[in-house]
Amino acid sequence: MAYERSRARYIFLIPAIGYVIVLTIFPLIYSVYLSITNYSFGKPTVEIVGIGNYVNVFQDYRVINGLRVTLWITGVAVPVELVFGLILAVVTGLFPRIQTIFRILLLIPLFSTPVAIALMGPNVFYEEGGPVNGVLMSLGLPKVYWLSDPNIAIWTVTLLDIWQWTPFVFLVSLAGLQGIPVELYEAAKIDGASGYQVFIRITLPQMTPVLLTILFFRLVDCLRIFDLPFVMLGGGPGISTESFTVYIYKLAFRGFNFGYSASLTIFFLLLVLLSSNILIRRLSRYYV
Amino acid sequence: MKISVSKVVAFIFLIVSVFFFLYPVYWIVITSFKFPKDVYTLTFIPYLQFMPTPNNWIGQFEEAGREIIKCLTNSLIIGLGAGALATLLGIFAGYALARFRYKRWTNRDIIMYFLSLRMLPPIVVALPFYIFIFRLGLLDTQLAIIFAHAAFFLPYSVLVLRDSFRQIPAEVEEAAYVDGCSTWKVLTRVALPLVAPSLAAVFILVFTFSWNEFLFAFILSSERATTFPVFIAGSLHAAGVYYWVLSVRQLLAIGPPIVIGIILQKWIVSGLTLGALRGGR
Repeated sequence: MAYERSRARYIFLIPAIGYVIVLTIFPLIYSVYLSITNYSFGKPTVEIVGIGNYVNVFQDYRVINGLRVTLWITGVAVPVELVFGLILAVVTGLFPRIQTIFRILLLIPLFSTPVAIALMGPNVFYEEGGPVNGVLMSLGLPKVYWLSDPNIAIWTVTLLDIWQWTPFVFLVSLAGLQGIPVELYEAAKIDGASGYQVFIRITLPQMTPVLLTILFFRLVDCLRIFDLPFVMLGGGPGISTESFTVYIYKLAFRGFNFGYSASLTIFFLLLVLLSSNILIRRLSRYYV
Repeated sequence: MKISVSKVVAFIFLIVSVFFFLYPVYWIVITSFKFPKDVYTLTFIPYLQFMPTPNNWIGQFEEAGREIIKCLTNSLIIGLGAGALATLLGIFAGYALARFRYKRWTNRDIIMYFLSLRMLPPIVVALPFYIFIFRLGLLDTQLAIIFAHAAFFLPYSVLVLRDSFRQIPAEVEEAAYVDGCSTWKVLTRVALPLVAPSLAAVFILVFTFSWNEFLFAFILSSERATTFPVFIAGSLHAAGVYYWVLSVRQLLAIGPPIVIGIILQKWIVSGLTLGALRGGR
């Protein structure tokens, strides 16, 4: 082919790859270096402290807390989003006109600025007569301390994440559902399968690759959660919503403890890579 | 007409879902039009339950107008800059990955390279990136945030554009080669016009991502380059519990990306999954 002898093959690709190397790979390598030093803003000398920072990671109760918060939010929000979004996609299939409306309406949470969603915390969940508690109380239900109770605040963060990202699962699931061959459904109809059987035997297995792809994106984004807990409550009350990213942010940009926070970021990166490594292989199969 | 029980259940489920997704937004919309005395009451229907007023909107612009305009302008410039840079780099890399075959590092390896960037948590590079930008003296400039955003959203533009280029039949381009066109000419005269809609979509999508991004905009700006999300994030302290002020600011932030999302409807699935899947219709 004419393409093969072209020098453009390299000239076209190098800018994008080079840009990424300079702006993300270099910083990453520099971060590895920082992680073995005691670098701190305003400190005149930088000393290599070896793996000392990494040892500290395992003795820091706020690291344990950050992990707990992050895994808690991810462990609740992501499964709920997957199930809720998929059900919405399947159920709206019964009402084509409503499905069209849903496609537009659900773009509202999905495209909303996360910071603005975080501000729904104070604006919608305020406890004295707020629009949520007000409705709960007029239904005779008890008041919920959405923001001030450390055990509940994490649910509020999770709820807002579900609010924003279920639409993503819904839209991608719809695309996946349209890819299922109609003949499968027709054959099932002839065999007299019930709606439930069709869902379990045809829809779910056919949707597995798409659902794994959705899982990849949700997992990767949920583990890095920052905007919601940080803007809404600054990681509080106490440190009850202090996700891993929020903790690293505070360490680095408020405590200016760069060396230690760099080692935390490397630890965090390994965690993310380990958990999503299998899923990215699944995803890469779409790019043949 | 036959109405099955399961359809009724499904319908009720959908009604509840609509309520779940729209109630918070509806609430901030009406709060932004309420007099302060009505804000704390559980009222929903304008004119019937409360008198709407444009005062909060007018008041916001009178009080903090300059600040708001400055931050909106910053968001706009940064979004346009990041969109342009990411799209430009994406055109060449996307075309290369769609049309050329690489041997030592195969196309699949290079795609994996871009894909794996999507896994990288921003906080991991935030720290060294901050130090670099500080050393370069670019802290609190729009340029610094443009560079950061373009890097983070480059995988989207590369992979979505690759997908679009691949949908052009190879014969169209080969005909141009036979006529003696160079690769550059084939790309600019033949391929680019054919993918013009996806170019626009990618550009606008990166704009939206950049508009919504918080962490880097927050770290890299302090005053001059503050973006709108960073500005409203500070509202809690500045505005206290003035919910009507908060509501106006929230709506100003979410308005543009939502409008864009609705316009870009059919590109969203492809855009958010980096070209792995395509939305229907």
